[in-house]
Amino acid sequence: MKKTIFLAILFILVSSFGFSQQEDFKKANDLYSNDKFEEAIEHYEQVLDNGYQSAVLYYNLANAHYKLNHVAESVYYYEKALQLDPNNEDVKNNLSFAKKMTIDAIEVIPQSGFSKMFNKLVGAFTYNTWAKIGIGFAFLFVVAFIIYYTAYTVSRKRSFFVISLFSLVFMLLAVLFAYQQENFVKNNNFGIVFAKETSIKAEPKQSSNESFKLHEGTKVKLLESVDDWYKIRLADGKVGWILASDIKAL
Amino acid sequence: MNVKKYILILICLVTQTLVAQVTFEAKVSKKKLGINERLKIEFVMNQDGDNFTPPNFAGFNVVSGPSQSINRSWINGKSSFSKTYTYTLAPTRKGTLTIKNASIEVNGEIYKTIPIRIQVTNAVDKPLSNAEYEATENIHLVAEVSNTNPYYNEGITVTYKLYFKDINIGLRDLNLPKFNDFWSQEIKLGNAQARRGEFKGQTYDYVVLKKTILYPQKTGKLYIEPMSAEVAANIPTSKFNLFGRVYEKVNLPVTSARRTITVKPLPENKPATFTGAVGKFEFDVLVNKNSLKAGEALEARVEVRGTGNLKLLDLPALSTPSALEVYDPERSEDVSVTGTGMKGKVSNTYVIVPNYKGKYPIPSIRFTYFDLETESYKTVRSIEQVIDVFDGPTNSNSANNNVENTTNNTKQEVVGKNQFRFITTSSKFTKMNTAQFFRSTLFWSLLFIPFAILPIFLLVTKRRKKIANDIAGNKTRTADKLARKYLSTAKKNLSNKDAFYESLHKSLHNYLKAKFAIETSEFSKDHIKELLHQKGVSSDIITSFIELISSCELARFTPASNDTMQQDYEKAAKVINAIDKQIS
Repeated sequence: MKKTIFLAILFILVSSFGFSQQEDFKKANDLYSNDKFEEAIEHYEQVLDNGYQSAVLYYNLANAHYKLNHVAESVYYYEKALQLDPNNEDVKNNLSFAKKMTIDAIEVIPQSGFSKMFNKLVGAFTYNTWAKIGIGFAFLFVVAFIIYYTAYTVSRKRSFFVISLFSLVFMLLAVLFAYQQENFVKNNNFGIVFAKETSIKAEPKQSSNESFKLHEGTKVKLLESVDDWYKIRLADGKVGWILASDIKAL
Repeated sequence: MNVKKYILILICLVTQTLVAQVTFEAKVSKKKLGINERLKIEFVMNQDGDNFTPPNFAGFNVVSGPSQSINRSWINGKSSFSKTYTYTLAPTRKGTLTIKNASIEVNGEIYKTIPIRIQVTNAVDKPLSNAEYEATENIHLVAEVSNTNPYYNEGITVTYKLYFKDINIGLRDLNLPKFNDFWSQEIKLGNAQARRGEFKGQTYDYVVLKKTILYPQKTGKLYIEPMSAEVAANIPTSKFNLFGRVYEKVNLPVTSARRTITVKPLPENKPATFTGAVGKFEFDVLVNKNSLKAGEALEARVEVRGTGNLKLLDLPALSTPSALEVYDPERSEDVSVTGTGMKGKVSNTYVIVPNYKGKYPIPSIRFTYFDLETESYKTVRSIEQVIDVFDGPTNSNSANNNVENTTNNTKQEVVGKNQFRFITTSSKFTKMNTAQFFRSTLFWSLLFIPFAILPIFLLVTKRRKKIANDIAGNKTRTADKLARKYLSTAKKNLSNKDAFYESLHKSLHNYLKAKFAIETSEFSKDHIKELLHQKGVSSDIITSFIELISSCELARFTPASNDTMQQDYEKAAKVINAIDKQIS
């Protein structure tokens, strides 16, 4: 009896949690549809405050910020959405709109064809997804191998042997990609400039000379941090120090 | 004779004078004078010469002259001759000036004067001359400065006024001062009109000679040079004649006093956006359209309005999204200079052409000026404008790049109607900051469990197979053993006919059982024949095998000698051996 009450309470709690996310999300979407973007943002952020996230949530939040011409916020949340779902066409499309609002023009150093393809392949999934894919292939390998081992007919044996072999190779590749992706993510901390205009210094000191200026919405790579300063690198290779309060790490 | 004598003397004298040395010299009234003073120069010669060439008087204005005078005199029987060219000069600049030589031709010879150096100093207060006292008392040239302690770049006005009382005056030779270290602009005055005003507690008439607005371009002590002029005044005298009071004409040089201005520097806490504007301003960024098609042009105007050093300030630059094509601005000024300073507006007009569809914010920019009323820096922000480009191609490449660059613009493929997309209305949420799965223990165990399963599986199947294999093997082995056992029993029972054949019979069947793992005891002879044939046993051995079986069956009912039993035993051993060889 006690146990059932406990379970019932637990069930209600769990379901109400999930329910409230959907409730806020739905409400926010309705507000968005009625052009009440500020209120929509509040409700989207409520979901985030409760500790839940999704690519779609970030995408919608970014859209609301875009509608209000919040350059940095919209770029930031689009990038957040892309982190969770790197291949979302909607996000990419709207991000290109948001990026038009940014002031800075930074020449991107082009990648070679191969590394571009490789990065695209590796970047297709998050490293956790790659890890899961790897596990899937590991199981597939074992199943295929067992079938191969126990099969009587030659054709069956042959096909399952090939399947198991490929699964093994794919599993190794998936784990390799997961490593690669994790490494990439660990070494590629990005941030979005939130200050309307900020000067990038040559040294992490307020008195230091200004190297160049950046404006809000620009994506920079974070290299290291010292006190209240981040060392950053731009896509065109320029390096400098920015006040931590002027930037938000992705 | 006497007359003759005189003539002789005369001739002598004339010839003497003819022979006498020609003098030609330049004389100046003074060698050192103020810039507001005049210089008289006389070129005197004692012979009547021709082709007088004056020097070019560089550094001087010729006020009057040349005036020529010839002086002949006979004193005590001596005649003297002098011819004089007189010039009145006014120096145009300070410093040491040189009046070069003048030349004259006398009897075919050219004579020159010696160059004279003149030192011109600052305007000096002239010592009063007796007759001019009245005039100096009643005529004053004054420089009025609106503010002697302005800030750097704060506009001040200098007004030169000529005060006079009860006299008619005429003005000549205005010497306009130069304003070094100031940015100056003259305020245009209408026709000079005499007005009434107070000066040193007395009522005077005055004329404004010049009004200039000055913007100090240096801090510290600056000087405004005095202005000098010559006033022709009719001074009433105490004499009277037939027509009334007699007026005396006096040429009076007047100068204003030198004024000192102390310029304060602007306070140190200059904001970064301060570009030198001092005064009171309004600031705006104006866009002539807010929505347009790609490829159309719009104008953005950065405008500063108000009073202050409008012509001297720098307008803040417009910052625009990099995706917009922006041309260099055109500066236009609409400034009028009034008594209180420059008033009007200065603007930079940018022509902007968007190439792609989208929203482009023109961010607010800041303009900082020094407010003279509150003596503090004030920053005005323009309102952020958003330009909506509603029609045109979109730049789809930018999603991959950090920021669009111009090289992308060359790739203007025909892009479908790319719109800003609507939100997605359904979502699954995940807990934030979920522990990393990759490289977690769970991950490794899940990855290696299959590999752990595999050898276990292989081991198990192998053992099971082995066990299965053993059952068959045991069977054959026991059968084989039985065959040998019965054969050996048969050998023992060579003396006992029945037991011998029974054992032999069992032995033969057990042998088949062991070899082929089939029960053959129920089989007919034809069946066994066929089976053996299938297994590739040669026909004579099969025949022998069958003969053995039939003799075993026959022997139960017929008597047999020990010899035949012995033969049958050997035959059985031979046949089993042969089958063994042929099968394996």
